[in-house]
Amino acid sequence: METKDTSESTSPFIGVFEGFKAELDEHHDRRERVIKASRDITAFSKKVIFALQRTKDIGKPLTDKRALGDVTKLKEQIKETFESVAADLQDINAYRYQRNISGGIQEWMEAVLFEHYLQTQSIMTHEEAAKKIPTDIMLTYEDYALGLFDMTGELMKIAITYMATNGKLPGKNGGSSVLTDMQIMRTQLELMDAGGSYALGRDFEGKLKTTRASVEKVEASVYGMTVRGKERPPGWKPDLDSGPRQGEEIESY
Amino acid sequence: MTTNGAPYAGQSLIDTSIFTTLQSKIDEESTVRDELKEIVDKLSKQGRTTQSILSRIHNVPSQSVGTEVLDPCMKALEEQRNSVSSLAEAASKFPFYKYNFVWQREIQNVVSSFQLWHWLSSGKLKSIEEVGEYFRGEFAILFAPTVPVNVKDADTFHITIEDYLLALCSTIEELARLATNSVTLGDHARPLQISKFIKDVYAGFQLLNLKNDALRKRSDGIKYSIRNVEGVVYDLSLRGLVPKDEDTMKME
Repeated sequence: METKDTSESTSPFIGVFEGFKAELDEHHDRRERVIKASRDITAFSKKVIFALQRTKDIGKPLTDKRALGDVTKLKEQIKETFESVAADLQDINAYRYQRNISGGIQEWMEAVLFEHYLQTQSIMTHEEAAKKIPTDIMLTYEDYALGLFDMTGELMKIAITYMATNGKLPGKNGGSSVLTDMQIMRTQLELMDAGGSYALGRDFEGKLKTTRASVEKVEASVYGMTVRGKERPPGWKPDLDSGPRQGEEIESY
Repeated sequence: MTTNGAPYAGQSLIDTSIFTTLQSKIDEESTVRDELKEIVDKLSKQGRTTQSILSRIHNVPSQSVGTEVLDPCMKALEEQRNSVSSLAEAASKFPFYKYNFVWQREIQNVVSSFQLWHWLSSGKLKSIEEVGEYFRGEFAILFAPTVPVNVKDADTFHITIEDYLLALCSTIEELARLATNSVTLGDHARPLQISKFIKDVYAGFQLLNLKNDALRKRSDGIKYSIRNVEGVVYDLSLRGLVPKDEDTMKME
C-alpha cells in the first residue's frame, strides 16, 4: 500500500524472504493436501459406518450385498487416500500435520472399532487398530480414544434398531449384552483423567457427555422393552421419551 | 431378571486394560509436558527481566543506550540463552511438533528481544541462521544440544521460520514505538533509520503468500507501524528537524 516500490526493489531482505516464501508455500501445500485427505477419509468412513449399520446381528458377518460391496470399495478408497498423503506425514511432519489429519483418522477409527465390535463384541486394541492405517502413518492414542468414544454412538443406533425389529438386544444368548458393554465403556471412560493430554483435553468432556447420553438412551429402550415387551406389536419402535429419564439431545439414529 | 427370558449376564469381552493403557499414555504425555514447562517458565521469567530492561530504550537518550540498556540486556539475554539450551536438550528427546506449543511463545519472545537488542547495537537484521547460532550458546557446542533453524529432516528442537517471523513482527512494533519516543528524547535521526528498516522488512513480508493465520494477522500490523513512523518522519521534515547527514535518505 503506502510502501513505495523504490524500497521494495532495494530492500536488502528480498532474497532471504524469497527463501521463506518457498518454505512457507511448501508447508501450506502440504497442509492443504493433508486437510483434503482428512475430509475425504471422514466422508468415506461415515459411509462405511452407515453400511455397517445394516449388519443383521452381532457376531454375524454383514450379509447385505450392496452394503458389503460399498464397504469393500470404500475401504479401498480410504487406503488410497491415506497413501496419497503418507509422504506428507513422515518424520518431523508426523506431528506437524497431525491435527490436520486427525479428523479423518478419528472417523476411520470409529468405523474400524465399530466393525470389530460387530464381529467380535470386543474392543480392538490400539496396536491392532494401528495396523488398519498405512504403517508409515501414525495412530495417536488420542485419535484412537476419540474414535472409541464416537463408536459408542453407533452401538446405540444399532442396539435400538435391532430391538425395534427383534424385540431383544443383539448378541448371542448367554453372552454379554451391548448394553452391558456400553455401560462398561462408559464407566471406563469416566474413570479416565484426560487433563494430561493436550489433544484429548479439548474434546473429552463433550464426547463423554454424548457417550453418557447414548448409554442412557439404550438403557431407556431396554427398560421399555423389558416392562412393556410382551404387549407391543411387531415393528413397534421403542418410545424413547417415555423412558424413566430426561432425554438429552443427541445425534438421531 | 428379564421377562422374555434372555439373560444378558454373560462375561463381557471388553478388555478394560485398553483404558488403563490409554490412561498411562496420557500420564506420560503430561509428565513430559510438565518437565518442559518448568524450563519454559524459567525462560519466561527471565524474558520479563530482559523485556523490562529493553523497555528503557523509550526513556533513555540514544547516547546512553549502550551502557544503560544494551549491556545489562546482554547479560539477561545470556541467561535466557542458557535456558534455551536446556530446553533444546530436553525437548529434542520428543517429537518437536508434539510439544512445540509449550515453548513457542517464549521462544518468539526471546528471539524478538535478541533481534531488538541486535538492531539497537548495529541497525541490522539478524538472519534466522544467525539467531540459531546465537542460541546455540558458548558451551552447547561441546555438549549435545544445538539450536538449529528450520529443520526439515531430523526431528529435533529448532527455531521455525514462523517463530522467527512472528518475533520480527514484535520487534517492529517496538521500533515503531521507539520512533516516537526518540523524538521526545531529542534524537531526530533514529525515526529515519527505523522507517527505512521497517519498510525494507515489510517489502520482504509482502512477498509471502500468507494464509489466514497468526503470521498474516501480525504482519498486517506492520502497515500501521509504517504509517506511524512515517507520520513522525513527516512531522520532522515539515519543521526542518531532519538531521543534515540523513537528508540523502529516501524521503516521501
